[in-house]
Amino acid sequence: MNPLLMINAFTAHLGRISVIARHAFTQLVRMKVFYFLAFFAIILIGSNFFNLPQHEGPEAAGVNILRSIKSWSLGAMTLFSVVLSIVATALLLPKDVEDRTLYTILAKPVPRIDYLAGKLLGVLLLIFVSLLVMDLLMTGILQVRTNMVLSKQMAMAEARGWSVSDIAGLKADILAQGPTFSLQGAVLAVFLRATVIASMSLLISTFSSSTLFTTIVSFLIYFCGHFQADARAIYLSSEVGTDVGWVSQAIALLVSLILPDFQLFNVIDSVIEGQLMPLVIFGKLILVGLFYFSFYLIASWFVFAKKEF
Amino acid sequence: MTDSSPAVEIRHLVKDFKTSFKRQPLRAVDDVSIRIMPGEVYGLIGPNGSGKSTTMKALLGLVAPTSGECAIFGKDSLKVDSRDEVGFLPENPYFYKHLSGEETLNFYGKLCGIRGTKLRDRVNELLKLVDLEDASHRRIGGYSKGMLQRIGLAQALIQEPRLVILDEPTAGVDPVGSREIRDLIFKLKEQGITVFLCSHLLEQVQEVCDTVGIIFRGRMIKEGNLDDLIAIEDQTELVVKDASPELVAEIAALIGRDGAAELVRTGKPRTTLERLFLRETRDQKNSESNILK
Repeated sequence: MNPLLMINAFTAHLGRISVIARHAFTQLVRMKVFYFLAFFAIILIGSNFFNLPQHEGPEAAGVNILRSIKSWSLGAMTLFSVVLSIVATALLLPKDVEDRTLYTILAKPVPRIDYLAGKLLGVLLLIFVSLLVMDLLMTGILQVRTNMVLSKQMAMAEARGWSVSDIAGLKADILAQGPTFSLQGAVLAVFLRATVIASMSLLISTFSSSTLFTTIVSFLIYFCGHFQADARAIYLSSEVGTDVGWVSQAIALLVSLILPDFQLFNVIDSVIEGQLMPLVIFGKLILVGLFYFSFYLIASWFVFAKKEF
Repeated sequence: MTDSSPAVEIRHLVKDFKTSFKRQPLRAVDDVSIRIMPGEVYGLIGPNGSGKSTTMKALLGLVAPTSGECAIFGKDSLKVDSRDEVGFLPENPYFYKHLSGEETLNFYGKLCGIRGTKLRDRVNELLKLVDLEDASHRRIGGYSKGMLQRIGLAQALIQEPRLVILDEPTAGVDPVGSREIRDLIFKLKEQGITVFLCSHLLEQVQEVCDTVGIIFRGRMIKEGNLDDLIAIEDQTELVVKDASPELVAEIAALIGRDGAAELVRTGKPRTTLERLFLRETRDQKNSESNILK
């Protein structure tokens, strides 16, 4: 094929995908999904007032508040992104079929893969924008709170006559609980997890006939995904001659092949505790996200390409 | 591809749908062949469940034929590029309720690769054509049935297709809206656009179509030029204005004297209920607007 024609065809694909993605984004925005952001703001403000019992010494005073802000914020982000990635993806396809808007779209020169990719990217765009806004809110409040804790603790340390190195150590400990690059990495991990879940829901919605079925099955698979590592371990151990039955072996193989290991994303918890996210883990999460996005999208295309309306 | 290739070519189309286990598949379309030449207006008529919509869907690649082939301007219907020059209005369409009429046309235009000034001009032109300029910024969710059909027709025409497929274009629309859609089909015909429509409203099909196919239980039972199909070959119609009873009696006597010819019926021709309705509502509208002036 002529390279120029190939470039034109590729540009046309991107153009159509972008139109469908922007439309899906607008559709979800006009469903007033962003109201969740107000809910998030309330959670964020509320997390400032959670005074957990303090067991550590006075040098740790205020740090719990920083952890609480991060924990509640990332928890709310996870909840929002997981629910939205499943429900929005499960909703968009059956709704188009039911309303027959899909007929008018597929009756245009729109390849089915463009339609699927556009819908998925529209959902992901919405999640990305929402997480970005939530991240900005969280980082802003965390920065203000960190400065408050820092000035209080520095005054306390100086009053108690701590050495310069001890003060520097205390400062580093407090800053590690504030807004860090690892925290931004954790937010990105939340987004990548949502990407995997949305892609998986897309695949389910291509062969399911209702939004409810897609939603329930997607949540179940998300839940099962947390045991993917265990399933993989069962399958691998069965190969070296244990007494695992062939049914268990087959199920374990299926689960470990099809489902992503959602435990990988538990790295978010250690970031809440103030630990650094290693760059290797970060890179691994990106690769896992991209792999499952592509895998589920292509699988969805195989199912959807044969589907009759 | 030259213009001499048929706009629509359906050859021996068969479509079976799977039902539950162990039961025979349901044959929705059974060996249907249709050929529509460019510029023609073709009407496919038949009762509910006779296979009209399935035939159209097969032509658009929305369902895959069990056997047989469908092509649009020589391109296989299962290929995406066959849809380059087709506009489709499905039966009872629902467009995205959150979009306005203008946004809807912009969306479909962009899907067809139209951008910028060209798209803007085309959208304005179509809004004018379907008489929705005043409602262009209103959300589709607030449109009436007739307005939905008209915006549906506009989206079908967005990329200036050479073939327009209309599935029950006037279903559920009031007589005025129905007449407007019929007038639009006439405009398309004047522009040389091929129209393939299916409808229950036989009178409308009769008004606009050149060729008609009658489909029943999935099989094409009659097809041909409309005038040829509906003409009663052994009868001649003579409509006379301001004829006195004496003249009518004289004509009747003349026919009686012929021996071979037979007078079947005399009387006043009747208008249709649709024409009566349209005339009365138009007169009412005019008198109301005169009072307001």
